[in-house]
Amino acid sequence: MFKYFSSSNIYLLIQKLIKLINSIFFLILVIGLTFALILSPPDYLQGDAVRIMYVHVPAAWIGLACFSVITLLSVLNFVFKVKNFYFINKSIAPIGLLFTCLAIITGSLWGQPTWGTWWAWDARLASMVVLMFFYIFYILTFKLLKKEELITKVSSIIAVVGSVNLPIIKYSVEWWATLHQPASIKIIGSSSIHPEMLLPLMVMLLVFLLYAALIFLMKYKTEIIRIKKKNIKRN
Amino acid sequence: MISNFIIMNGYGLYIWLSFSVVFISCAFVYFKTKKTLIKYEQEFLAELQTLTLEEKNEVLENSKVAQQILATSFETN
Repeated sequence: MFKYFSSSNIYLLIQKLIKLINSIFFLILVIGLTFALILSPPDYLQGDAVRIMYVHVPAAWIGLACFSVITLLSVLNFVFKVKNFYFINKSIAPIGLLFTCLAIITGSLWGQPTWGTWWAWDARLASMVVLMFFYIFYILTFKLLKKEELITKVSSIIAVVGSVNLPIIKYSVEWWATLHQPASIKIIGSSSIHPEMLLPLMVMLLVFLLYAALIFLMKYKTEIIRIKKKNIKRN
Repeated sequence: MISNFIIMNGYGLYIWLSFSVVFISCAFVYFKTKKTLIKYEQEFLAELQTLTLEEKNEVLENSKVAQQILATSFETN
């Protein structure tokens, strides 16, 4: 069974997946943008400014999801020493940083017309900035440290410590009085978002997920080639 | 109608700026990642070229990844 997880088979699978994503990405992007910018209705309170939600919310979700995956794989790698998890984390971290930064920037652009300010040090915004710094520290361990064992240890510690911030981000709008609105979409319980807005949001989430998957696969493919190149040198 | 679409009831600046920042950043990261991938593929091929014919054949026989990179380089060339 383990032969299916060899770098050769993973490499072939990655190539197929990249081709698949490339073939459907632009179609889904066009559908998503049509819904987000044209077909979805304006909000009764925020007007057309609500359209920023279609890029802000998926970016924030993916930023959080990437760090959750990194934490889980860091712990598993620390315990079971699975080398692939190290490369997966190395490939995911820049994607998480990108989407966290985009969530902060688009949130600021959404804040000006709705709250009347670009920035406020409220709990949700501040905890997202903290997450961004954890991503930066995490990526810096791969750039600055040389020994793989030391990188694994330091990056795992950063991931575990940083994961404490994840529930703070999630529940900050409930625990403290914040400018940021509470969650409109709930996995458990009824969501307060209208289906006409939920559909474009889900399509844009799919677009962002496909993009994130594409970048991850390209980065992971680069890592495999880097290892193979090292192996040629050794031989 | 087009001007209404661009102005978005006065929120156009914020909406277009948000979408532009997202798509420009994503495009930048995509092309940078692709460039790095191509660079590593070329470096791998260059490394392969330094080997003797026997060593090269051995690497190609044992590594599907090497075969794929070589095949991709032929496709792009």
